[in-house]
Amino acid sequence: MRDIANVAVREMRMGFRNPWAYTFMALFTLFMFSLLVINAQDYVTGYSGASSTMLNLGLYLLPLMALMLGSFSLTGEKEDGNWELLTTYPLGTLSFLSGKYLGLAVVLLVIVAFGFGLSGAVGWLTGGGLEPVTYWHLLVFAICVSLFFLGAAMLIGTMARNRWQALTASVAVWFFLIIAWPSVLIAVLGMLPYPWIKPAVTVLTFLNPAELTRLYTIVQLGGGATLGPEYYEWVGWIRSVWGPPVFWAIMLIWVSIAIMISYLVWERGRGRG
Amino acid sequence: MADKFVRFEAVHKVFNGKTVIGEVNLAAEAGEVVALCGGNGAGKSTLLRMLAGIIRPTSGQITIGGLRWENDRRRYARQLGYMPDDYRFSAGLTALETMLFWARLRGLGEARAREVLELVGLSDTGRKPVTSFSKGMRQRVLFAQALLAKPPLIVMDEPTNGLDPYWMGSFVQLVRQAAAGGQTILFSTHQLQIAEALADRIVFLRDGHVVLDGTKSEIREKYGASGLQEAYGSIFGLPTAGL
Repeated sequence: MRDIANVAVREMRMGFRNPWAYTFMALFTLFMFSLLVINAQDYVTGYSGASSTMLNLGLYLLPLMALMLGSFSLTGEKEDGNWELLTTYPLGTLSFLSGKYLGLAVVLLVIVAFGFGLSGAVGWLTGGGLEPVTYWHLLVFAICVSLFFLGAAMLIGTMARNRWQALTASVAVWFFLIIAWPSVLIAVLGMLPYPWIKPAVTVLTFLNPAELTRLYTIVQLGGGATLGPEYYEWVGWIRSVWGPPVFWAIMLIWVSIAIMISYLVWERGRGRG
Repeated sequence: MADKFVRFEAVHKVFNGKTVIGEVNLAAEAGEVVALCGGNGAGKSTLLRMLAGIIRPTSGQITIGGLRWENDRRRYARQLGYMPDDYRFSAGLTALETMLFWARLRGLGEARAREVLELVGLSDTGRKPVTSFSKGMRQRVLFAQALLAKPPLIVMDEPTNGLDPYWMGSFVQLVRQAAAGGQTILFSTHQLQIAEALADRIVFLRDGHVVLDGTKSEIREKYGASGLQEAYGSIFGLPTAGL
């Protein structure tokens, strides 16, 4: 635990002194203000056209931020020779990766909290803010998307040899999971026999953290009816008392699997040398 | 070789089908200073990186105080301090923050981090990030981290690159102090005068093979040369002027 905390503190220090973090913070805050303007035309309570726009716009920006910050941080360790030096220390690979994840998560969550906090305060002062419950669900959505994609970033940073490869892979993953997903999903489902469609939707949704979090938030905001018949069971469990803990457990498992795969790959490299 | 502290036994390394280290047998006693010399691509850094546990030998075994990396990585790592040749410091961190991170990984506190920075004359660099330091200053930070836990073995890859004459002298003194305290030191260098000034034993490598291993006096005796540079020239068939 002491090693994890040590690596996490170093990551936070580097993160908060990294100009990229402030660029993302400024961008995210600007993004939140633009959502405030959108919201000012249609005071949001629960799921609406405005909150749907907010979700979709959040899905464009946050995953890209998480993927880039996370994967660059890991490839940087390899490129700069820091990982090589750390292999001469009594430091476990899992402690290193967990510390990196935790430190990066704090940096990302501060960026998200700053954007939400500032826009929330301005919205509240001007009377154009979101209804508190909607605001809360959107904040949880932003946190979850960031944490999920930071897990994916660990995988990308593990596989990529340098920052350029990480950038290319991050954009590819972002494009596939965020932009192309609906079309790909429809195309894949169209090729399957009818009885397979529901289980396929479930499996594919679990594989895409962006889609999973979007569905969860839409249902939590009361917009489950807009999702279509394939998702009725999803609406049921998400709205139940077990919805939030099950969702958080899924996220924990997803991120743990991402870190464990990264661990196995780093360990393989360490063992083979 | 049973009483040697560091041992390379029939160590062989192949990278992408190319043999970079032939069958190397090498040993160092506790408190001994061994210099690895040779041209570019001779295999000096590869040997040191294998000893530090960064890369694995394709065959053969390496032990430090009887410990093998494969058997207990953590204990093995506690036996050594490693100074890399090629390293880029993390942006934004000061010398103290960087050292403190390394110190904590070794279970040490701020007092020791400050102490080693003091040793290499970098205790007053304040809020200045290490990335803004000169090459020589960064080398001193790396040297300081290798000394942190007072390990029984210090492994250094080209440690004097970028050092000015004043710090070169201090470096020689610090290494001698460490050896006098019983620490074993293995380092690679292109600078024969540093090898001559520091090492008890000098190992010449060529194409991944040890071509000569002996004390300075043994080398002189064997080659009838007046100095190490003469011996180097004789072994590698090079003119000695300017080496």
